[in-house]
Amino acid sequence: MTRRAATFVLLLAALSLAAPLLAPYDAGLGFRDFLHAPPMRPHLQGFGAPVVHPIVLADRLEQRFESDPTRTLPLPWFGGSTDQPVFLLGADNFGRDVLSRLLYGARTSVGLALLATVGAVLIGALAGAWAGLRGGWVDDVVMRVADFVLILPVIYVVLVLRSVLPLVLPASTVFLLVTWIFVAVGWPFVAKGVRAIVAAERDREYVQAARSLGAGPGRILIHHLIPACSGHLVVQATLLLPGFILGEATLSFVGLGFPDPVASWGTMLAEAGNYNAVARFPWTLTPAVAIFAIVLATNLIASTHQDRS
Amino acid sequence: MGWRWWSGQQQPADSGTEIVFSDVSTRGGVLTSSLRSEPRTFNRWVNRDFATDLISQLTQSKLVRVNRATQDVEPALAETWTVSPDNRTFTLTLREAAWSDGTPFTSADVLFSFQAIYDPKANSVLASSLLVGGRPLAVTAPDTRTVVITYPGAFGPGIAMLDNLTLAPKHKLEAALAAGTFPQAWGVATPLTELVSLGPFVLTRYEPGQRVIFDRNPRYWKKDAAGGALPYLDQLVLEVVPDQNAELVRLQSGQIDMLQQQVRPEDIATLRPLVDQGKLQLLELGVSTDPDLFFFNLRPAKWASDPRGSWMSRKEFRQAISHGVDREAFANTVFLGAGVPIWGPVTPGNQKWFSPNLTRYGFSLDKAKALLAGLGLANRDADEWLEDEQGTEARFTLLTYRGNSSLERGSAVLREYLRPLGIAVDVVAIEQGALIERMLKGDFDAIAFFFSSSNLDPAMSADFWLSSGSGHIWNIGQATPATAWEKQIDDLMHQMMASVDHAERKRLFDQVQNIFAENLPALYFVAPRMYISASARVGSISPTILRPQVLWAADTITVRTPASTGQGGR
Amino acid sequence: MGRYLLRRLGFAVLLVVVASSASLLLTQLAPGDITSEQALALDPAARARLRAELGLDRPLAAQYLSWLGGVARLDFGRSLLYSRPVNSLLGERALNTAVLAVAALIVATAIGLPFGVYSGSRSRGLGRSVVRGLSIVALSVPPLIGSLALVFLAARTGWLPVGGMTSAAGMDASWARWLGDLARHMPIPVLALALPLAATLERLQSQAIEKAVREPFVAASRARGLGHAQAIIRHAWPVSLRSVLGLYGVMIGSLFSGSFVVEVVTSWPGLGRLMYDALKARDLYLVAGCAASGAFFLAAGTWIADALLALADPRVRSQEAP
Repeated sequence: MTRRAATFVLLLAALSLAAPLLAPYDAGLGFRDFLHAPPMRPHLQGFGAPVVHPIVLADRLEQRFESDPTRTLPLPWFGGSTDQPVFLLGADNFGRDVLSRLLYGARTSVGLALLATVGAVLIGALAGAWAGLRGGWVDDVVMRVADFVLILPVIYVVLVLRSVLPLVLPASTVFLLVTWIFVAVGWPFVAKGVRAIVAAERDREYVQAARSLGAGPGRILIHHLIPACSGHLVVQATLLLPGFILGEATLSFVGLGFPDPVASWGTMLAEAGNYNAVARFPWTLTPAVAIFAIVLATNLIASTHQDRS
Repeated sequence: MGWRWWSGQQQPADSGTEIVFSDVSTRGGVLTSSLRSEPRTFNRWVNRDFATDLISQLTQSKLVRVNRATQDVEPALAETWTVSPDNRTFTLTLREAAWSDGTPFTSADVLFSFQAIYDPKANSVLASSLLVGGRPLAVTAPDTRTVVITYPGAFGPGIAMLDNLTLAPKHKLEAALAAGTFPQAWGVATPLTELVSLGPFVLTRYEPGQRVIFDRNPRYWKKDAAGGALPYLDQLVLEVVPDQNAELVRLQSGQIDMLQQQVRPEDIATLRPLVDQGKLQLLELGVSTDPDLFFFNLRPAKWASDPRGSWMSRKEFRQAISHGVDREAFANTVFLGAGVPIWGPVTPGNQKWFSPNLTRYGFSLDKAKALLAGLGLANRDADEWLEDEQGTEARFTLLTYRGNSSLERGSAVLREYLRPLGIAVDVVAIEQGALIERMLKGDFDAIAFFFSSSNLDPAMSADFWLSSGSGHIWNIGQATPATAWEKQIDDLMHQMMASVDHAERKRLFDQVQNIFAENLPALYFVAPRMYISASARVGSISPTILRPQVLWAADTITVRTPASTGQGGR
Repeated sequence: MGRYLLRRLGFAVLLVVVASSASLLLTQLAPGDITSEQALALDPAARARLRAELGLDRPLAAQYLSWLGGVARLDFGRSLLYSRPVNSLLGERALNTAVLAVAALIVATAIGLPFGVYSGSRSRGLGRSVVRGLSIVALSVPPLIGSLALVFLAARTGWLPVGGMTSAAGMDASWARWLGDLARHMPIPVLALALPLAATLERLQSQAIEKAVREPFVAASRARGLGHAQAIIRHAWPVSLRSVLGLYGVMIGSLFSGSFVVEVVTSWPGLGRLMYDALKARDLYLVAGCAASGAFFLAAGTWIADALLALADPRVRSQEAP
């Protein structure tokens, strides 16, 4: 099971890195006559490559399409033109290919969330473990700082931040900013949990043994206490990851979003937010399925790793 | 007279819009509508947001009313009036009427209303809409049923201007005005018995964050054609539903009878099955009169230091953009085809003032490219964008805000259309408050925006047209007009506002529109068609384009069964 | 013990003051102010006058000090948006959100912890995978869509009211009827808040139990003859609670900020929505007041969680108080 999960993750990483080659269309390319077009199912016709039936707009206001069984189109990797698009996962409300945006968005969203998660876990673990080990006023200060970060409405901070930044932000800047904001917002969760564990573990025999052998606090932290929290850290990571992917969309409401052609799963889902639209066009929820798959895979890998430790 | 036909039969408007009017006149029942934002105060004199205005419209009456559907002036609390030969003095005879607490309504209330509105300490938002040439109206009350109003100069809209006047009860608010606490009066914590009404309903319960409930006003002055008492409804409930999607769900499930405002084009398909089943009605109101606009910063100070100033401040640039956009395709993408191409701020929905013969810069890539070349823009390097003679790229920032889907989509479509022309547009969505600040400070290149107006007579939105106006968004509040064409518009508008002959006013305003269409300080592409939806149990509605589309005539609405529906029952 | 309590109280007060001050400052720094929305219709002189009346033209330090003076008397000033004292606004809304948050926390705990114990105490099995899968689904669905789905479900089935906190007729009725009405309105928003939280708790508890089960004293208890389930519940579980309870305070705090989406979609008149409206309108004092409430609840939540932890885990009790 784990091997499959690990392979899945690697596959996904490969896919997302190869997105520019694999994605049939540009992430920002909208086909004006195909808003909310449904997915086109590939069929095998004879011995050739799979083909799809093109769809035709039946009612623009109702966004209804009909499949034309008399004609066929090749899949986009095997030829095909841009005025007859092929949507394997349907199109969004701008007529953009969901599959392409999913692939491109993987790099943005998962990359961002992964980096932020690693950062938050690292900083949180160090801060929480140190607070738990030292106790006393260090513990108080660290925990109160964590509380303060938690209670401060991030939205306001981002709003003010956005107003002092230049208007046009390149995608890379947004990426870095959002990553840092997520790290800053995420570490208190990790720190609190780790501190609670460490506060109990610090009086256990192995720690005392290490101390009596002359280990300094740093060594005790890194070699004994933090590894003792590894299971908890892994769970925290799997909790933070989807939160960060989705959280990116919230930030875009206060102006810190990726500029338009850049696809991100959070924004794709936010655009699908109209429930009635989701009921009629369920393919717009594909990023949620992708998020689920990634988190599940990470969970699986993590739990078996834990079993071994 | 105008008002009688509201309760009887009526001829459909000739624009082809469907106005549903059933002959049901059952009395009683409860109507539940949604309300998307909460009232911040019940004081209409200091606040103009939608909820406050709606509550005011439901609970108050005016001296005269501009019928939202026909744009004609109807008598209301002023039963009759005479106009002096110079069109400046109006003598109104007031009807016998009383406030909901029994106190008689007299000319003293009218005097007091004006006094409060013009008092600088009261900070009234209504003041600017009751000025002529920047000067207040002179109001006297020779007796308890007569009011004489003298305008400082002739004013085109004439007595229709009094539709902006919300009457204030002297006996309730006089003390607050004297004490200087008028702006704080009638706040949301006020005991509801203080909020007396002259209109069809009385506010009887307010549950903050949840709902506002109105009961019929037994002392309402208006009667229907048969002399029966109005309103027909016993109770009207406004349910606070901040989320548009949740609002729609409530309508579908029958928990509310109608939506606060129009249905979005993308939601029509969701409601169609229910319409087919006969549970809902879907009505087309016509073309919206508040289209989205894309305007540029035309302040001279902005371009003086900007390297793009030599071409970006020129009208040829904006004309080229207009040539670059295929308005039909724009309507298809942004409004799902439910829109008409427009070329200026006045849309076909504004029948009295629309001019079909404006200069148009229609879809033509060749013309667009020619204009841009004429400005000295050419592709001088390897990328796809144009540069001017100094090498500055043809790139500008278009600001908009999240949450308004037609603006977001429109901005994206505009960017797409300008790309083949070689113009790069950076669409940046910032928070709404931040956007408005930048607009006021003049710190922007271009903005995609949306205004909502309450009156179709351009003289009432002088702030937009006049260069000195606070709503003259491309260059707000100029001391003297910065350009010759703005001066031309100023002169024409002043003439148009001072004339009382509609044909003459229209002629002048057509010229204004043409100057606007040629200089294009703001670009207009498509005006959406408006639809509203209501439960099938709602009858006798008189829907119009201007908001509130249905509740403006709440006194004649009926509901089929007086029984309770879900939460709204009694 | 007393000194410890005092210190915690002191820190809590400090947190409230610092959090609300920071929010006040940030709102001041954000572009625009309360008059921005109306500014397009006001001429600059009128706008300046309005700002002066609201006290916005005073220097920043003066505004802050006068506000702070009020806070010392527990008076958070006057809302610029609603022209009412902030205290009364907060009182109503914070209570509404508290009701929701507490209910959501209870439901989430009742679902999350038992399922977490179940899935963590088994090393394999269908049940475990199903629980884990469901949790991850709950974590992957954006809160907006989840809330809307629940609202839609309520509308479709017609069992429960689709939003709001009470019915229109609610206020006149007797206490019992009112409570019943409230109880009918609560399930949708409570579930919308509780399900993602339950999933979080399940994941945390599951991992914690997995680790605790391997502790030597659990094996010892089994050796003494305790059954598998008993061993887990009496020995492994209290120990596993440490990392879970450590986060309870945090979760209460996040319930308040996360409740915004749920409150908007289900029209629940709560603090989350109030704070958002205050932010949009740049109502300084209301923003600061809301931040103060949030800080208060976070502090209270953390305190309760620490108390529960001391109760549950004997090892913590014997140490110097955390």
